[in-house]
Amino acid sequence: MSETRRSARGAIGTLAELVLIAAVAATLAPILWMLVLAFQPLKDIIGSGVKIDFSLSNFTDLLAPGNPLLAQLVNSLTIVIGTVLLCLVFGSLAGYALSQLILPRWGTIPLLLLAGFIPLIPPMVLVPGLYATMTSLGLIGGNFGLILLNTVFQMPFAALLMKVYFDGVPNTLREAALIDGASEFATFRAVMLPLVKPGLAAVGTFTGIMAWNEFLFALTMTSGGTTSPLTVGIASLVQPYEVAWGQMAAVGTLAAVPIIIISVIANRYIVAGLTAGAVKG
Amino acid sequence: MTAAARFRTDVPTTTAPPTAGRPSRRRWSRFGLLAVAPFALFLIVFGVYPMIQLVTMAVSNVTILQGSFHYRPAGVDNFARIVTDPDTAPVVGATAVFIVCAVVLTVGLGTLLAVLLDRAPFMGRVGRRVLIWPTVVAPVVVSVIWLLLLSPTIGLVNKVLFALDLPQQGWLGERVGAMIAIIVVDVWHWSPLVFLLVYTALQSVDPEVLEAARVDGAGEARVIWQVVLPMIRPAIVTAAAIRLVMSVKAFDEMYLLTHGGPGNATNLISLHIRTIFFDRLEFGYGAAIGVAIIVAFALLGGIFALVRRLVTRQEAARV
Repeated sequence: MSETRRSARGAIGTLAELVLIAAVAATLAPILWMLVLAFQPLKDIIGSGVKIDFSLSNFTDLLAPGNPLLAQLVNSLTIVIGTVLLCLVFGSLAGYALSQLILPRWGTIPLLLLAGFIPLIPPMVLVPGLYATMTSLGLIGGNFGLILLNTVFQMPFAALLMKVYFDGVPNTLREAALIDGASEFATFRAVMLPLVKPGLAAVGTFTGIMAWNEFLFALTMTSGGTTSPLTVGIASLVQPYEVAWGQMAAVGTLAAVPIIIISVIANRYIVAGLTAGAVKG
Repeated sequence: MTAAARFRTDVPTTTAPPTAGRPSRRRWSRFGLLAVAPFALFLIVFGVYPMIQLVTMAVSNVTILQGSFHYRPAGVDNFARIVTDPDTAPVVGATAVFIVCAVVLTVGLGTLLAVLLDRAPFMGRVGRRVLIWPTVVAPVVVSVIWLLLLSPTIGLVNKVLFALDLPQQGWLGERVGAMIAIIVVDVWHWSPLVFLLVYTALQSVDPEVLEAARVDGAGEARVIWQVVLPMIRPAIVTAAAIRLVMSVKAFDEMYLLTHGGPGNATNLISLHIRTIFFDRLEFGYGAAIGVAIIVAFALLGGIFALVRRLVTRQEAARV
């Protein structure tokens, strides 16, 4: 049977393989070219023709004293860790409450509408209002402010995705734990939360990647240099007159490669995050 | 006091006849309210309050004095300016061209790849993993990647064109070329997302349905066109809606690749607001554009929900 199937689909199958080879090549080639350039000395990059060499000069330039890269890396990591923690804690609490507990509808319906509406608005539109808000709260220009902003825009996703995972847990489990004398919090923490570990993994990887990649708020709410995260540092290398091509490729590699490795290892959770974000939208 | 209240609400439920069902006013979970409170607080402080600030700014003449904002009432002046501003038409035009091209091309290409990958046992295994890489790479890095390809001086594209003795390109500096460039970058970046959404939907298509169509003599192209695509239409529509929202938001890539130029050629709405707000410091005007966009979004969302309700009702009536 598989024989007839193969012949029936033969032509399209061959076409499919060819198109996919082209698609994979088109996906990889631009990334690989950046990796190659990251290890080329600047004179080879700006020289005519293609010359392949090997040099770590771009990375040593980036790590030279006075270069803000290390501070920016630390900022980015701080923001990622803070955002992921806040999203996991508050997102799972909210998702659990929305899924398993009885809440007043006059509260949940506006909340869900708001949680659905905020991700639709272009963030740039809210920047003037957020800028004024952050200024009056004294949160402009620091990692803490950026953690809060990242959290706000990731939390609707985190809470709704956790709600989907908690929806798969029968409410009778919670009732049984309560009858056995566990408090509501202990029930949540010790009985329910361990059952949605895949959800926590999906929320964690996804919000982490989004926070690591975030650029708009970092650009508008910090003053650059050592105060900003890595994405703003990359942007500042793109100057109209003197472009530091080699450093640009090197720092782009530093920002992209860890994320790609994570996406290969945690492929399942990334896919869950990307597709669940879709269902929500 | 709470114990008394609990006692009082509990009594009628226990004495009421079972046919009356649960009391109309259920007791809310106190832990639930506590658990949802941080989430609600975040959304209100950083969602609702900034929107109120935005509206305040939009109807004011805003200046910065010694680091703090000063508001003078301006009525609808800021909104009137949107109509008279000579930048409005090119910005709306560029945004519209970008949105239409980006959505159509990413949805088309992503769907094509998903359908083909399902029929390519050899490349399928590789493609399923590799094709989503661009979606996880930071938009800023995507700009870097494409600058290294498209730069007129050091870009790989020009080095290849030179080696082939072909005329070299300077797309990022040309009106049409720059628009094509940012669309190509967007397609490279986000077609994989559509691919993933459609591919996930394809996995839930019952293979027996396809087998039945094949047994009935349908060729593979016809199976795809008349059986598979209609079955995954909801996923394609969802993907298109997501891409629409995303392309209205687009900012990072263009900010670095073209900075909105040359002229206004790639000056998308988000870039325009940033320039007004941070370069020209016209806070009131920038906020007014923001309010206009949010209102347009809410209207579109309302219309979309209404149409969907009407369509589902019609389909339900037909069945």
